[in-house]
Amino acid sequence: MNGSAEARVDYHDAVGVVTLTGEVDIVQASQLREHLLGAVRNEDLGLVVDLTEASYIDSVGVSLLFELAEKLSERQLRLAVVLPDGGLVGRVLSIVNLGSVAELHPSVDDALASIRAA
Amino acid sequence: MKSRITSERLRDLQSITDAALAYLPLEGLLDELLSRVIGIIGADTSAILLLEDDDTTLVPRAAKGLEEEVERGIRIPVGRGFAGRVAATRRPVRILNVAEADIYNPILREKGLASLLGVPLVVEGSVVGVWHVGTLTERAFDDEDVELLQRAADRAALAIVSRLTERERGLADALQRSLMPRLPELPAVSLAGRYLPAAAERLGGDWYDAFALQDGRLGMAIGDVVGRGFHAAAIMGQLRSGLRAYALDGAAPSDVLSSLSGLLRQLEPGRTATVIYLVVDPHGGGLVIAGAGHPPPLVHTPGEEPRLLELPASVPLGAARHARYEDLMMVLDPGSMLVLYTDGFIERRDESLDDSLHRLMATVAEGEEDLEHLGDTLVDVLLPEGAGNDDAALLMARAMPLGDVLVARFPAEVQSIPGLRRLLGRWLDEAGATRRDIDDLTLAAAEAAANAIEHAYGLAPGVVELHASTDDDNVTVEISDFGNWRPPRGTHRGRGLLLMEGLTDDVEVVRTGEGTTVELKRRIGDEAAA
Repeated sequence: MNGSAEARVDYHDAVGVVTLTGEVDIVQASQLREHLLGAVRNEDLGLVVDLTEASYIDSVGVSLLFELAEKLSERQLRLAVVLPDGGLVGRVLSIVNLGSVAELHPSVDDALASIRAA
Repeated sequence: MKSRITSERLRDLQSITDAALAYLPLEGLLDELLSRVIGIIGADTSAILLLEDDDTTLVPRAAKGLEEEVERGIRIPVGRGFAGRVAATRRPVRILNVAEADIYNPILREKGLASLLGVPLVVEGSVVGVWHVGTLTERAFDDEDVELLQRAADRAALAIVSRLTERERGLADALQRSLMPRLPELPAVSLAGRYLPAAAERLGGDWYDAFALQDGRLGMAIGDVVGRGFHAAAIMGQLRSGLRAYALDGAAPSDVLSSLSGLLRQLEPGRTATVIYLVVDPHGGGLVIAGAGHPPPLVHTPGEEPRLLELPASVPLGAARHARYEDLMMVLDPGSMLVLYTDGFIERRDESLDDSLHRLMATVAEGEEDLEHLGDTLVDVLLPEGAGNDDAALLMARAMPLGDVLVARFPAEVQSIPGLRRLLGRWLDEAGATRRDIDDLTLAAAEAAANAIEHAYGLAPGVVELHASTDDDNVTVEISDFGNWRPPRGTHRGRGLLLMEGLTDDVEVVRTGEGTTVELKRRIGDEAAA
C-alpha cells in the first residue's frame, strides 16, 4: 500500500481501455478524474475501465465511476468495468451496485467483445 | 634578523602586543590594529584579508580608509592581483604606482590609492591572510616599512585568527545546532538523534534529519559532507534543505539522491558527500532506502543479532556526473530498530573500524528499549571522550508495537487518510484480523474519517481521532471529530455511509456537544468469511 495510483490508456480500435492501478481514492481522485474523462474520444463506441490491478477504491473513487457512466450514457456510449475475482474492490462495487450503470466483466477481452457486439 | 627599525617606531610597534589588546572584542581589536599600523607607517589606508577554508579565496575582514572593501563582500582569488599575489608568493609585495599595476580589486583604484604594501599573515607556517597598507600619494615603501608591517603581522596574526575562528566556530556551532531537527512525534515510530561536534578546532559537515512527508510517511536522512570547516558546514546546510525539498512530495530515495548529487556538483564542483535517505511508512512498516557511499545502517530485530544492512554499492554525492542510485525495499517489523550513523561515530584513533562496529552492534544487542537512553549509552561506549577529529551523528528509529488499545490523532486533512488506514491495518493485523477484515474495516474507517474531514471543520484546522479496541473477537473502531457536524453534501457521502454499513456488522453515529463519533463494529478472525 503505497498511497499512489496510476491511469494508463490504450486504444483497441474504437474502444479506449483505461487501466487503473493502485488506490482509487479521495487522495488520488482529482488526478484520476482528468485521465478518465480525457480518455473518451469523439469517435469511440465506449470505454473499458480495468480495475483488476486496483488495490483499493473508496466512495470518492466509486462516485468517479458513476459520473463517468452518466457522462458516457448522455452521449450514447457504454461503460464496461473489468473487476478482479473477489477482493475488496469487487465487494465495494457490489455494495454500491455499480452494475446498475455499467456492464461488469471478468476480463478486458470480454468487455471489448461486449461493447463491439452492441 | 638585524633590525633597521628606529627605536621610536619599534616602541610604537610594541604597543600592538599590549595586554590591553587581548581583552578587546574582535571588532575593536581589528580596528585598533589597523589604526596603529596606519599611525606607525604613516599610511592612509589599511586592510586585513583572511583566507577562506577552501584556501583559494581571500576575503577582506577589516579595513580603515577602505571600508567599502569589507562592505561590498569582494572575494579575491589567491594568485590574482595584489593581495592574491602576496598570499600566493608568501612574500611582501610593494606597488609604487597602482594605476599601472595588476590590481584585481577595483576599490583600490576607485579610492585613488597611489602606492601599496602588503605582507602575508602566517600562523604555524601556513598563510592565513594578507595585511596591506596604502597611500593616496605616491610613496616608495622602503625595507624598514616592509619589516615593520611584517612584524606587526607576525605578532597579530595568531590573535586575529584565533579570535576570528573562535567567533566563527561559535556561529557555526549555533548554525549546526539549529540545523539539527526537532524530531517528529509519531504514534508508531519512536526516533532519537545525537550530534557531536568535532573536538578539533575545525567544524564538520555531518547532519541528520527526520520529517513528515505529505503522504503521511516519514523521511529520514543522515549525511556527511566531506571536508571540514565553516564551508563544509555551510554546504551541509544547503544539502539538508535540498534533500527536504526533493523529498517532500514523496519521491523515491534513489531519485532524491540523484537530484541531490546534481545540486552538490552545482554548489561546489569537486566536493563530495555521503548520505543515506529512507522513507518509512510509520503505520505499515514498509521502508524504502537508498545510500550514496555512506556506511551501512544497522538493523536490529528483537530476538536476533543486529546486522548491517547491505545497500547496493554506490558512489558519494557529487562524485560522478549523472549519478544513479538504487532503492532497497524492506519492512521494519514492530519492535525492530534501524540505526544510522556517520563515520565519525565509529572512527577512533585507538581502535579499528571493525572493533568500533562490533561495539556498536554489541551495545544495540543489549536491547535497551528507550531510544534516548540508548543514544546516551552509544555515545558513552563509542566516543567516551567525545568526537575525535571528525564530527559524529547518529539517528535511530524503532517501529513501536501498537498495544491493545490504539489511539492516534491526525490532522483533519485528506492527506491523513492513507496513514490512518495503514496504522489501523497494522493494529488489526496484530489483533488477529484476516486480510478481509483489515481491508473492510480500514475502508470503513477511511470513509468515516473523510466524512469528519469534509463536514466537521470547514476550512479551520481540526483533528480526527482514531480509537480501536477489541472485546474477544469483536473490534470497535471509533472515528471522532471535535467540530460542528453539518449534513453531508454531494452523493458520494451517501455512498460512504452505504459502504460503512456494507463492510462492517454495525455502524453508529453519536453526536454530542463536543463533536461526532462514528462507531464501527465487526467480528474479526473468521477465515471462512474471507
